Amino acid sequence: MAAEPFDVIVVGSGAAGGTAAYALTRAGARVCLLEAGRSYDPQRETPMFERTAVAPLRDAGTPDKPFGFYDATVDGGWVLPEEPFATAPGTEFRWFRARMLGGRTNHWGRVALRYADHDLKAFSRDGFGADWPFNYGEFSPWYDQAERLVGVFGSNPGLPDQPDSPPGCLQPPPVPRSFERLIMAGGRRLGRPVVASHTAVITRPINGRQACFYATPCLRGCSIGANFQSPTVLLPSARATGRLTTITHAQAYEIELARDGKARGVHYLDRRTNAHHFVAGRAVLLGASAMESVRMLFNSRSTAFPDGIGAESGWLGRGIMDSTGSNVWGQFPQMEGLPPFNDDGVWLPHVYIPWWAWPEQRAGKLPFTRGYHLELYGGRLEPSADTFDFFDTVSPFSYGARLKQEAQRYYGSFVRLSQRGEMIAREYNRVQIDPVLRDAWGIPSLRFDVRWSEQELHQTAHAQQSMAEFIEAAGGKLVAPLPKDPAHAILPPGRIIHEVGGARSGADPRKSVTNSFGRIWGVPNLYVIDGAVFPSSAHKNPTLTIVAFTLRACDHIQREMRHG
Amino acid sequence: MVDRRKTLSWLLRALALGASPVAHIDFALAGGAQQGRAQSDRREAPANAPADQGYGRDPNLLHPHITWPLTLSPEQKAAVARLADVFLPQIGPSPAASAVGVPEFVDEWISAPYPQQQADRSVILDGLVALERQAPGPINRLAPAQVEALVAKLQSSAVAGDRTAARFFSRFRNVCLVGYYTTLTGVAELGYVGYQPSATFAGPPPEVLARLGV
Repeated sequence: MAAEPFDVIVVGSGAAGGTAAYALTRAGARVCLLEAGRSYDPQRETPMFERTAVAPLRDAGTPDKPFGFYDATVDGGWVLPEEPFATAPGTEFRWFRARMLGGRTNHWGRVALRYADHDLKAFSRDGFGADWPFNYGEFSPWYDQAERLVGVFGSNPGLPDQPDSPPGCLQPPPVPRSFERLIMAGGRRLGRPVVASHTAVITRPINGRQACFYATPCLRGCSIGANFQSPTVLLPSARATGRLTTITHAQAYEIELARDGKARGVHYLDRRTNAHHFVAGRAVLLGASAMESVRMLFNSRSTAFPDGIGAESGWLGRGIMDSTGSNVWGQFPQMEGLPPFNDDGVWLPHVYIPWWAWPEQRAGKLPFTRGYHLELYGGRLEPSADTFDFFDTVSPFSYGARLKQEAQRYYGSFVRLSQRGEMIAREYNRVQIDPVLRDAWGIPSLRFDVRWSEQELHQTAHAQQSMAEFIEAAGGKLVAPLPKDPAHAILPPGRIIHEVGGARSGADPRKSVTNSFGRIWGVPNLYVIDGAVFPSSAHKNPTLTIVAFTLRACDHIQREMRHG
Repeated sequence: MVDRRKTLSWLLRALALGASPVAHIDFALAGGAQQGRAQSDRREAPANAPADQGYGRDPNLLHPHITWPLTLSPEQKAAVARLADVFLPQIGPSPAASAVGVPEFVDEWISAPYPQQQADRSVILDGLVALERQAPGPINRLAPAQVEALVAKLQSSAVAGDRTAARFFSRFRNVCLVGYYTTLTGVAELGYVGYQPSATFAGPPPEVLARLGV
């Protein structure tokens, strides 16, 4: 059991904090991991084979469990009465939280795509936001490591928007499912690619983890460790070093600086007892989730930093992003009344539609400058509380024998296409500390002021049209007509749960909060390692990039520590 | 409810800035001793307690059970059963709704303390009252043909544009469909055959691919 003094204090145990604990303990550091939620053991707690039939409300989402009773989220959700936040008048923001060991790695879509060089240099391309402080060549070795650690299946089709991985990084993708093959056929008719998804589920055993056994929903978590969750993939290795101390129920709220300007440690409180504690370390890493890390920096005020640590450039809390998201549902007559067959697969996407309209976009023919990809969901999933959502449309007012026939006929014939697109980082999209609002423990809360621009709305209009084209080219029918106004199609900011930015990394201290390793400008031993450092957020789920960024930062940190 | 804690804790925080050593360490992960399951490790503060009798944000997922009282009277439940059996009747080996627990599920659903379920509660309970007003007697005591006539009339009203009738038809039917087809019987009738662990995933069989034309 590791003891004080700690070399490193890590706040948060998800993709960023879990990766830091993994990398640093293995490199010899004594790490203290602070987690606001409770301990969580997927091996013992995951309802792998529990059936929908016995779940309250048949696993329908509720405010207590927005993604259903069995979802692997503990003490989380969109609205946490004890952890309120404010939004500026006329704006909306959704903020999903999970207070548990492993954070939101326990519940995520597990799409794990690499940023391409053009994603890291989007500002150079269109003048919006800022470039990342490194290029793809410098960053790609960390993606290689991240993919081997996380465990990602996928293929290398050599597309401009999807950098190929070197041999040995990706696992073989599973063959496509029935509804995915239909959309692939539609893509061939349209001349647009539909390729293997990069998904954080292993199809071959690695690092003592079992391969996927192609059954049970991934969003419940995985007791065999076949999908990527911090508590099954990262923390066991860290624990095995004997150098990890984990403190759960520990709500970190302030970084304390010593007289020499270095971080001395972290103040936290026990969420159950309200007792306040302090833990000291030679370095402090914030991986509390983008918005929570920014909140902590704002709440760490001192004479030297009256507006919070990292606030001097004016960029702290600015440049907040989510992914754009919208949906279109199709119904496929070819899928009606099929004979029974098992189409579970890995449950998460086997294939996806990468951003294809590069040439047009580069030529300035599109009214938006950042791309999107499309994800596919549906087919013959286990019947659930939303299986019959479209029955008022496809079989209005039927009952009796006919209703039973229609239930069998339509089951499994619906497919949802989902847009995931890039939102541009804007200075005006920001979080601040609300002047009055506090959480149940008295910690000042955030106030969000985030809105879509014309760019995101134009992109969504294009994506809606494209999704309709895919459905129709694949022989399907739209379940409902497309909304005329993309503002009615786009989901509110935060809803895709890809919120990043607010402590952006950069090469220039006047225009960023951290350097390229996440180190806060002016505080040599304080790092931000989560999504807060993103200067731009490609249309790709941020988790793999967070893991890669953290691995790179930790490599730098251990070299710094070795040299004193 | 949190006001007292709110004010106290911020004051306490200010006091704690004098820095104390690590006083509380949860050894669940650091050492060998595993903490117990979800329930034993739950926060004690009432913040997460389901004051409204919902299952809360940290229910035991391996022992699912509903936490709210059921609220249908025996007469209402019998009426629900009669109606549900017209929506989803027995056809050959396929059982009627009441034989697979649909009335119990309707009760579970409309008694739940959550917004969607509470909205459905008023639609369904109001709809039952309205239906009974058009019936020759209490629904649970009608002859089968009379219940069928009642549903036929409801359908005609809904199709003719009666919004209240349409809303009741839609929500009652949806809750019945979910209640029926998520049971193992219903799942089998729809032809869902997943949940089978396997070392490999072969993809759809050739006959399906042929049907799909891919």
